Amino acid sequence: MIHSFIALLPDKCTSCMLCVRECPAWCIHLDSHTEEVTEPGARRPKKINVLDSFDIDYSLCMYCGICVDVCPFDALEWDQHRALISDSRVDLTLGITQLTSEKDSAN
Amino acid sequence: MARYQLAEHPHCEVEVLTAGLACCTLEVEAAVTAGLLIPAQLGNQASTPPSVLVISGTVTDALLPSVLDVIDRYPDAQLMSFGACATSGGPYWDSPPVTKGIDQFSDVAVYVAGCPPRPEAFVAALLSLAQAGISS
Repeated sequence: MIHSFIALLPDKCTSCMLCVRECPAWCIHLDSHTEEVTEPGARRPKKINVLDSFDIDYSLCMYCGICVDVCPFDALEWDQHRALISDSRVDLTLGITQLTSEKDSAN
Repeated sequence: MARYQLAEHPHCEVEVLTAGLACCTLEVEAAVTAGLLIPAQLGNQASTPPSVLVISGTVTDALLPSVLDVIDRYPDAQLMSFGACATSGGPYWDSPPVTKGIDQFSDVAVYVAGCPPRPEAFVAALLSLAQAGISS
């Protein structure tokens, strides 16, 4: 396995922030909010975290894979090798759409 | 300092600053070993200026004047920021003596992400510069 791209599975992410806090380069930025959902038959509404944004700044990422290892829900995973090159430093920060669609396009 | 030619695009010549900045420099050597880059012939060295200048590795504030000297020496060369350290300071971004990105001082033509980036990424970045040069 070549350590080259970390893909996000947003449906599995619970916004627990473990990856953000364990990243040695602090290259992951996550934003979320809490919503109340009422399930039929439940005694009271349940609070869930909803992922608003998830950015990996690949200009900082060391590809160490600690985020992949530390994620309790396997929401991050290694993906196909690709060369991340850009003429703009800002473009090296990939959001939810790019972190997922890049994965799909590689398969 | 060393000059290389791209194996598939001999017109794209690259001058590499091997001032021992950091480990990213080794990936350039790896690209040479893999046959992706060919060391430029000695005869070419004086005749043509380099088209691409690769800044690879951690740039510290102490080393910055030397790096900027080299950049100023080749004003026509396109700058490649190779690896996380040259791009943003990388894992050392919160260290006071480390320069957080060479782009604060000079325009960068292409950024290569990775710590370090693979030799293939290096060649892909060189190709993107070469293709941009052909189309313009």
